[in-house]
Amino acid sequence: MLNIKDYDNSYENKWCPGCGNFGILNAMKDAFVKLGKYPHEILIVSGIGQAAKTPHFMNCNMFHSLHGRALPIATGAKIANHNLMIIVSSGDGDCYGEGGNHFIHAIRRNIDITVLVHNNKVYGLTKGQASPTADIGVKTKSQPNGVISEPFNPLHIAISLEAGFVARGFSGNKEHLSILIQEGIKHKGFSLIDILQPCVSFNKMNTFNWYKKRVYEIDETSHDMFDYQKAIKLAKEWKDKIPIGILYKNNRASYTEQISSIKDVPLILQKRRIEKEIFL
Amino acid sequence: MNIDITVKIGGEAGQGIQSVGQILSFVCQKAGLYVFGINDYESRIRGGHSFFQLRISDKPINAPNNVVNLLVSLDKRTYEIHKNELSINAISVIDSEDLHFNDGILSLPIMKEAIKAGGSQTANIVAAGACLSLLKTPFEFLEEAVHEIFGRKKEMLESNIAAAKIGFQMASSVQFNYAFKWDKNSSKGIIMEGSKAIALGALASDCRFAAFYPMSPATGIMTHLSSFASAYKIPLVVEQAEDELSAINMIIGASFAGVRSMTSTSGGGFCLMTEGLGLAAITETPIVIVNAQRPGPATGLPTRTAQADLLFVIRASQDEFPRFVFAPGTPKEAFDTIIKAFHLSEKYQVPSIVLSDHHFNSSMFLVEEPLNVPPTIERFLAKDEDLENINEYKRFLLTPDGVSKRALPCMGKALVVVSGNEHSEDGHVSEAAQNRINMVNKRNAKLVSMQKEISSPESYYGDSEILIIGWGATKPAIQESINILRKNGINVGSLHFKDLWPFPLEFSEKILKNSKKFFVAEENSTAQLGQLIKEQTGLSYSGAILKYDGRPFFPIEIVNKLTDFLKV
Repeated sequence: MLNIKDYDNSYENKWCPGCGNFGILNAMKDAFVKLGKYPHEILIVSGIGQAAKTPHFMNCNMFHSLHGRALPIATGAKIANHNLMIIVSSGDGDCYGEGGNHFIHAIRRNIDITVLVHNNKVYGLTKGQASPTADIGVKTKSQPNGVISEPFNPLHIAISLEAGFVARGFSGNKEHLSILIQEGIKHKGFSLIDILQPCVSFNKMNTFNWYKKRVYEIDETSHDMFDYQKAIKLAKEWKDKIPIGILYKNNRASYTEQISSIKDVPLILQKRRIEKEIFL
Repeated sequence: MNIDITVKIGGEAGQGIQSVGQILSFVCQKAGLYVFGINDYESRIRGGHSFFQLRISDKPINAPNNVVNLLVSLDKRTYEIHKNELSINAISVIDSEDLHFNDGILSLPIMKEAIKAGGSQTANIVAAGACLSLLKTPFEFLEEAVHEIFGRKKEMLESNIAAAKIGFQMASSVQFNYAFKWDKNSSKGIIMEGSKAIALGALASDCRFAAFYPMSPATGIMTHLSSFASAYKIPLVVEQAEDELSAINMIIGASFAGVRSMTSTSGGGFCLMTEGLGLAAITETPIVIVNAQRPGPATGLPTRTAQADLLFVIRASQDEFPRFVFAPGTPKEAFDTIIKAFHLSEKYQVPSIVLSDHHFNSSMFLVEEPLNVPPTIERFLAKDEDLENINEYKRFLLTPDGVSKRALPCMGKALVVVSGNEHSEDGHVSEAAQNRINMVNKRNAKLVSMQKEISSPESYYGDSEILIIGWGATKPAIQESINILRKNGINVGSLHFKDLWPFPLEFSEKILKNSKKFFVAEENSTAQLGQLIKEQTGLSYSGAILKYDGRPFFPIEIVNKLTDFLKV
């Protein structure tokens, strides 16, 4: 019987004690158990940063790639074999900064992968610079007079590009996050789960308690996830009340479903074909 | 017969110059002649000056000639720009109000007659008709070519046949010194651009995924692949990525997941890809990259040719790691080289880089040798049953030859763990000093066997006293220059490098030491192959024949420069 221990490995965890990443790691394992997925059935692709180390700390297939490049790697892997269940584990700097262009275009392609962004609004691994999601006015060693640029709103952007599945989770609410991950994986198309997460070492403002006071679960019975305007409104809600849950969904066809030559049988499983007349 | 004539058709971009080239090439090929065509154009969509230059011969030719025998000007500037290239007895066809011929200038009312035939857009076909008429081609040859090219669109077919007929009749009374007798021979080979030969090589290699960002002159490779994929419903996906970073990482992802993958770009795009090149190297993921070179740092000359990326691609990316670098010289070589690049990339789990250039990619070659598709493809992949213990599977297991068993993610129970950070045998990040040494040594260990896969540079009169050394697409021009020089009584041969890295050290030393002197001929300003030979063998070249104006070598330029060197 599959259980959470099947995803444990003996590799030393290198996150700070109390890091919000642990909640995300546990929620991922819980979601995989509930989906009945064995370690060898999962491929986790990551870029660079603390979030990108996630697959090292669990049993699974993994490709820990370059800063910002997890999405193109995952896209190529999915096109090669769309039977793969691919999770991208990324951070706010990795996915929205260095990989911002890829983020936009992976949504446009609607490639069927599930992207978990550990969003702590700060660069942790390079020791505390502002990230694209840092709020205006936040002071850091490299922004001593405070951030002056508008924060990147990943949910707003994803919804405006008609991403298939757009959700926000909180690393302090593991049960809820596990459900979001399961739903994101089940969704056939690009799924974004932006996960609010404290950085105990560098973000002194958006702490665990700061989030705890503000996050609330979207009432699924009253929210129509297919309603674009309402989703945009939720994506813009911040400060005193921060919604978590599925903000937006649509069912447009995924990338590989639209390619007639591979929609039924993945590229990797097809027989080699030589059309002699091409070479004449 | 001894046919060797060059026809040049010039005008503004958008005037249908390439269609004229297509028609002339087709007619000549059907008559059993050899053709070689170059496309020369500016980086713009309409206007400017561009030309197609077709060399026609009854013997195999694969390089352009510098002398023009028949010049067709579809605009006012062409004649002025190119009149200095004309041979004695050449004819220049220009557009005018009415027909007259004197002093080698044949004035024809091309536009006026085109409008009568079906519209100004048929002016190029009127010109093609005039050209073939001057060469004394039977009209039915031309008719057949027009059918071949416009046959699908009925209304276009009629107006173009009419235009061809008008052009043909207008020039029929003019005597042209370079006219020859046409036979209805069986056609030789097939006409293709270099970029198509590369695309066919990828297809023959069972390449299943290609990602690219459009960049001249590499894009043609991908448009050919896309058209094959859509016309034949073969297992091949071509994706236009958002940038070169994405393109190379996509192919790394696809290759990691198990399908053969490639990208094509030019120098500037290759710069962006160097980050991914390093990732492919440290994760030991096979990939094939074609760099179709063009001149210039940054944007340079987008539609011109160069051979200035050799030392760059050999060293590209930070740190040290093994890779293959190839530079084919002809379409047949390009086809075979792509197959070799895919094969060796998978065998050694290293990146393969193939250098072509604008001249090669966009020139029209007549390819006679058969393009042989390998009947089987060896994938060098490990399945669960090939692994001793699937729970202990280590993707980067240290082995004497540096090659570890490559399993695929989610295709078995063994977990495939890969990292772009320095990692230990199990793929997890490791910063241990000894591990770092072990992993560098593991990757470098492959070089011993990789070296054995490298072919000797090709000798042409290789036991001569003097050798001209080249690489890549200059091969036909250099070989033709050797023929001319030998006729002039000079004991000269050539040595042409196709496999460049790992450097074919032993072969080169042996051949070069036998020559009295060797010269390099390259389309760059610093003799990059010359430098590499010196670095690797300690042998110095006696002189360098360098061209870096963005245009391809004419054989005579090599002849003249070498002759000058020998006089000193």
